Amino acid sequence: MAKQYDVLFRLLLLGDSGVGKTCLLCRFTDNEFHPSHISTIGVDFKMKTLEIDGIKVRIQIWDTAGQERYQTITKQYYRRAQGIFLVYDITSERSFQHIMKWASDVDEYAPDKVQKILVGNKSDEEQKRQVATAQGNKLAKAYGMDFFETSAFTNHNITESFTRLAELVLQANKKDLDVLRVSINDKLNLAALEEEEGVCDSSSDAQKTCWC
Amino acid sequence: MNLKKSRSVGASSPLNGLGKQDAESRKKRKMAEITQALSMTPVDVGALRRMAISEGGLLTDEIRCKVWPRLLNVPVGSILEELDKVERENNKDYNQVLLDVQRSLRRFPPGMPDEQREGLQEELIDIILWVLQKNPQLHYYQGYHDIVVTFLLVLGERLATALVEKLSTHHLRDFMDPTMDNTKHILNYLMPIIERVNPEVYDFMQQAEVGTIFALSWLITWFGHVLSDFRHVVRLYDFFLACHPLMPIYFAAVIVLYREEEVLDCECDMAMLHHLLSQIPQDLPYETLISRAGDLFVQFPPSELAKEAAQQRSQQTAASTFKDFELASAQQRPDSVLRQRRKEQQQQAPVEAQRGTMAVVQPTARRFVRLAVMGLTVALGAAALAVVNSALEWAPKFDLLFP
Repeated sequence: MAKQYDVLFRLLLLGDSGVGKTCLLCRFTDNEFHPSHISTIGVDFKMKTLEIDGIKVRIQIWDTAGQERYQTITKQYYRRAQGIFLVYDITSERSFQHIMKWASDVDEYAPDKVQKILVGNKSDEEQKRQVATAQGNKLAKAYGMDFFETSAFTNHNITESFTRLAELVLQANKKDLDVLRVSINDKLNLAALEEEEGVCDSSSDAQKTCWC
Repeated sequence: MNLKKSRSVGASSPLNGLGKQDAESRKKRKMAEITQALSMTPVDVGALRRMAISEGGLLTDEIRCKVWPRLLNVPVGSILEELDKVERENNKDYNQVLLDVQRSLRRFPPGMPDEQREGLQEELIDIILWVLQKNPQLHYYQGYHDIVVTFLLVLGERLATALVEKLSTHHLRDFMDPTMDNTKHILNYLMPIIERVNPEVYDFMQQAEVGTIFALSWLITWFGHVLSDFRHVVRLYDFFLACHPLMPIYFAAVIVLYREEEVLDCECDMAMLHHLLSQIPQDLPYETLISRAGDLFVQFPPSELAKEAAQQRSQQTAASTFKDFELASAQQRPDSVLRQRRKEQQQQAPVEAQRGTMAVVQPTARRFVRLAVMGLTVALGAAALAVVNSALEWAPKFDLLFP
């Protein structure tokens, strides 16, 4: 079964409830915007394939519930992530302050190699802005992260921020990448490589690929 | 028992092949029976539970307004005319509730004028905050609003408030703890049910390490968050209101089992399987699945699954701590039914066992409540307690399971 991509990895959207995580994702994968999106309960993902430096990169982007009590559930997904978006809402000082807490949770539960970027969403709502661009920049710098102000509504910086995180993850996995370059025909699954190798009995159906 | 999708077609509804007229006359007969049960002194709650579970549920919202309070044992006379003023700004949950209610447009009927919907959204906020304010031990969770909006749309603000308060301190109590630990634990009941019915599906899911989070929103919103047709939502609410608080987990299991072929055809991958299972089909044969869930509840009651559920999370062994059937027996003696059922199971084919049990339980049962008379009756007995006991008696006993 031929794969439509060369590498696969997982990104995770984190941030307070209502900052626009689901909207960012829908804009990126489906180029849609629903102003009255429903609350996310639990977790789910969407996929998109990008081409970076001639490599077809399949990204699986996991969206999470923002309410604090859900963290006990969403934390289980941190360890599977290679890249993380820390998202706040520029019209909510509070959501910005909480980035520190999100970042420390990531340090605790995500793999050491995980790549992070900071995203200030709703940049179109200038009149309601509570967090200056400079504040976002400063925080990102302190954490050594890239920073984007985005608007899922106007489609501002959406592709840029997702592509940037994808590039960072690719770079961070340079070693695997080189292997890939040497033998581009050997399909490679970064996500699978990084996890503990589990042996799957797929003898019942030889066509089924198993990455678990 | 085989819950395979492809084999379910013929059994999808006892109404299959019967004329519309017949369905209509049955509906009329059922309405008359409900009216009669309501007019008895005291009201025949047992009969109302059977009506809520059996095919078609409670049929109309008008009937639900009368029967739901009975199922939850909320005396209509005690319902307040005027609610105390809700302090919005000082409420710790207000911001989160507002965020979720603003994003709940999809839960209102499509044709509803904006003004009317906005009025209902205000009422929705008030009900939620009122219950939380009055019961400081309860904590808001995203998804609670999906339950409350269902009650609001069926019952109106006054009645919805009273019933939601009762439900929150009973059926939903575990979801409203300060943390989601108990919620996660309840999800642990899902896999043991699947394992017993279909080991192949269970093995596949275990191998994919899919977990149970795909069913989280089903459980904590009683499927209100994921079903787009409001009629299906209220039909399920009829069922769940009449049953044990864990019934939504049995219903979740039945949905997974119904999708056996899709599951086994899926890539054996956590993400892919999670994604597949999260997307609930909108054309489920609800009546069939309801009766199957009732059957599974009887065959594999929570007390039997408690130990495995605990082991899903840790290897510690723990005694079964659910006292459901002991308690239930005070109502309808379903324990004897169960004992007999188990004995028969060892000797006979399931169908025969079912027939045999039915004769014990309800020899004069009408055909159209046949769907799981045995399952239903036991569930009924257990359910009756949901409203007379405190929620903790239903909750997994963590102090015992995980000292």
